[in-house]
Amino acid sequence: MTAIIETDGLTKSYGGKRGIVTVTFQVEEGDVFGFLGPNGAGKTTTIRLLMGLLRADTGAARIAGLDCWKQSVDIKHLIGYVPGEPALDPNLTGGQILEYFAHLRGGVDDTYLKHLIERFELDTSRKFRQYSTGNKRKVVLIQAFMHRPRVLILDEPTSGLDPLNQQEFDRLVEEAREQGRTVFLSSHVLSEVEKTCTTVGIVRDGRLVRIGSVAEVKAIKRYQITMTFATAIPAEAFKGLDGVLEVEAFDQGHGVRLAMQGAADAVIKAAAHYPVVSLTSVEPSLEDIFLRYYEPDNAPDKEARGVA
Amino acid sequence: MWLSSIFFKTLRDYWIPILGWGIGMGLVVVSPMASVSTLLTTPQAREQLVSLAATFAWNADVVAVDTLGGYATFKIGIFIFLIAVWPLLAASRMLRGEEERGSLDVLLSLPRPRLRVALEKLAALWTALLAMGLLIGLVVFAGGQKFGADFGFSDAVLFGVNLALVCAVIGGLALLTSQFTQERSTAAGWTAGLLLVFIVLDMVHRVIPNSEWISRLSPVYYYNLSKPLVPSYGVNAGAILLLIALSLILGVTSLWLFARRDIGGTVRVPRWLRPGERKPSRALPVTDWSLRSVYARGLGVVAMPTLWWTLGIAGFAGWIVFAVQQMETRLSSLFSSSPTVMNLIRNIGGGDASVNAGFLSAIFVLLPLFLMAFAVTQVNGWSTDEQDGRLDLVLAAPQPRLTVLLGRFAALATATIVIGVLTLVASALAAAASGLTLDTGNLAAATLGMIPLGLLIASIGYLASGWLRSAADTGLLSFLLLIWFFISFIGPELKWPNATLRLSPFYYYGTPLIHGLPLASVLGVVAVAVLALGLGALRFVRKDIGV
Repeated sequence: MTAIIETDGLTKSYGGKRGIVTVTFQVEEGDVFGFLGPNGAGKTTTIRLLMGLLRADTGAARIAGLDCWKQSVDIKHLIGYVPGEPALDPNLTGGQILEYFAHLRGGVDDTYLKHLIERFELDTSRKFRQYSTGNKRKVVLIQAFMHRPRVLILDEPTSGLDPLNQQEFDRLVEEAREQGRTVFLSSHVLSEVEKTCTTVGIVRDGRLVRIGSVAEVKAIKRYQITMTFATAIPAEAFKGLDGVLEVEAFDQGHGVRLAMQGAADAVIKAAAHYPVVSLTSVEPSLEDIFLRYYEPDNAPDKEARGVA
Repeated sequence: MWLSSIFFKTLRDYWIPILGWGIGMGLVVVSPMASVSTLLTTPQAREQLVSLAATFAWNADVVAVDTLGGYATFKIGIFIFLIAVWPLLAASRMLRGEEERGSLDVLLSLPRPRLRVALEKLAALWTALLAMGLLIGLVVFAGGQKFGADFGFSDAVLFGVNLALVCAVIGGLALLTSQFTQERSTAAGWTAGLLLVFIVLDMVHRVIPNSEWISRLSPVYYYNLSKPLVPSYGVNAGAILLLIALSLILGVTSLWLFARRDIGGTVRVPRWLRPGERKPSRALPVTDWSLRSVYARGLGVVAMPTLWWTLGIAGFAGWIVFAVQQMETRLSSLFSSSPTVMNLIRNIGGGDASVNAGFLSAIFVLLPLFLMAFAVTQVNGWSTDEQDGRLDLVLAAPQPRLTVLLGRFAALATATIVIGVLTLVASALAAAASGLTLDTGNLAAATLGMIPLGLLIASIGYLASGWLRSAADTGLLSFLLLIWFFISFIGPELKWPNATLRLSPFYYYGTPLIHGLPLASVLGVVAVAVLALGLGALRFVRKDIGV
């Protein structure tokens, strides 16, 4: 696999205000990359730098080996883009907007364009200013997909879409992935990223704090093991074991609840010395992991060390 | 305090218009006083002025026009349209505009009745209009004092109040119309159309005998029944009361309808008035010529404004060419009695004011000013598009930034050329129709020569938009226009040095109707425009978009 999107020490500030700071990552071709972060974290700044709408202070961004600033026009032949806040001529109808952008792209496959319009059930005869938020989003999504771009850069693409259209969007992304196209999407909706993406990057205060496959990110996790025993057991038996962060006894020593990180091998071996009645392990959702990255004390630093 | 209630918050939003419109419109009223004060020096001049005014009696009542107050009242007759623009826009925006933006939803989520929210907003609008009226009255009184008018303070205040009242009626009409339209701009458009009809209705009785009953259908008629700046004429209390009643009726009816309809919806009209049910369409392509390129899209955007500005500029040029011969004798004797005005016309027009071509030449200098004002409005569209993010998706298509900028500029340049050419056609046709002999080459120079000036201000606007936000860019261009106008029109009279006069592009426009096209000067203006556009393009291809 080769990297189709690369950033290297990408930094951007707005006057004295922080935008992003030394953001470095790679997205492999054919990957669906989720760019996660809360509002103001720097997601849109990164995307606008990739789109050549902003010029980096330092660092570089490349798409398909082309410099995002110097060769931006060449890059845009390859890209479909959805901005975070769709702003288009309010007096044009949805159909006119799609036709305009089709012309600007040098023409698109009309059959596929009509197919997309059908899939999103878009009424193309209404003026853009008359559309609901969701319908505005549909127009912008269709224009991003209509030329079957090699790379899709989508800034919070499902914001305002109803669940049915979100499903349609998920299917489009899945189809793009199956066709080997690359999708870079930003979101603060964790379930969306967990469902759609193969790789995830988490940005906080303008810095990339975490990047890896969804499975990797979830592997470096905190989870909880709860065990009950036929007899009261000493909770101290589990303290200090590899992977154990906290131990809490309950039911007068008949049960322990362990906060875990990493492998559970030592815990299982220690538990084998006692008559185990039940053992449950609760997996964290990506949501739990994500939220922990935004804890005030920056708790995940410990986890971040061993990750790509 | 200003954020303690909806009333005060709305009033706070209006403070700049109150000051700007109040003082600005006050100056509009005072300016004819300034110009006429030098004319009213001899009985003959007064007689000529009355006679000249009678030529335009269709426009406004000719009452004591040989006094400062009477002349000012007469002159602003047609300007009622200009004065009503703000209340028209503000009232159509008051509820409908907020509904479009969705901000009214938030306001109506507060625990207070919908009627009260609307009432507080309407009260703020009325208060703002009253404040504007008082400001206009103050400025008019000050102007009157300066130029020796015979009206007093209370007359000036009553004049302002009368204006505020007719504006409140127009505002009320816009508010009422906005209850029936889905969009603010539609309400404003319909009200503007109605206002035009009212102005025409008011004119009817001055043109057609025994037709006063028609004019009584227009609120403008009742505004004109009071002429406080003419002390001998005074105020018509009945008309004032009627305007108050009309404002109240329109305002209360609007609020009553507003309280009973859906937010974001309209008042339900009878079935036969409703537009036909529109079936959702998924059809493509729409095959619209204006969607083929950035340039074509730019033309599509600029087409409608170009039509209106062409009607204004070419219409004005045609009308003045057509009418100049009819005014020749009166103008000649009028100007001969006022050396100041004679000099002014000579400085601006470059010829003898008593000669048609000289007078026309002076008036034609206004044409590039109008064209430049048009260009300023279109530059505003460009910078607003960037500011509002509408360029993001265009630039996300494989279009070089330079192509996008030049495409839009080329559309504006095309519109500018169209206006220039149609102005030439209108002027030539008017000259032919009136039998006026004008040098065709010079007429072409005078009309087409304004095009480089339009391109100049546009290119400066494009350059400045590389750094400035939309409002600042437009403000800068408006300021430049004012300064240039002042330099060229007042500077010669004040004996300013030639180096200062050269700072204004109007200097390079010259007096083409008399002296032909100053080719070197025009090429100089074009060169500066190209330079500014080049620098603007250089900036645009390197800048952060939307920052």
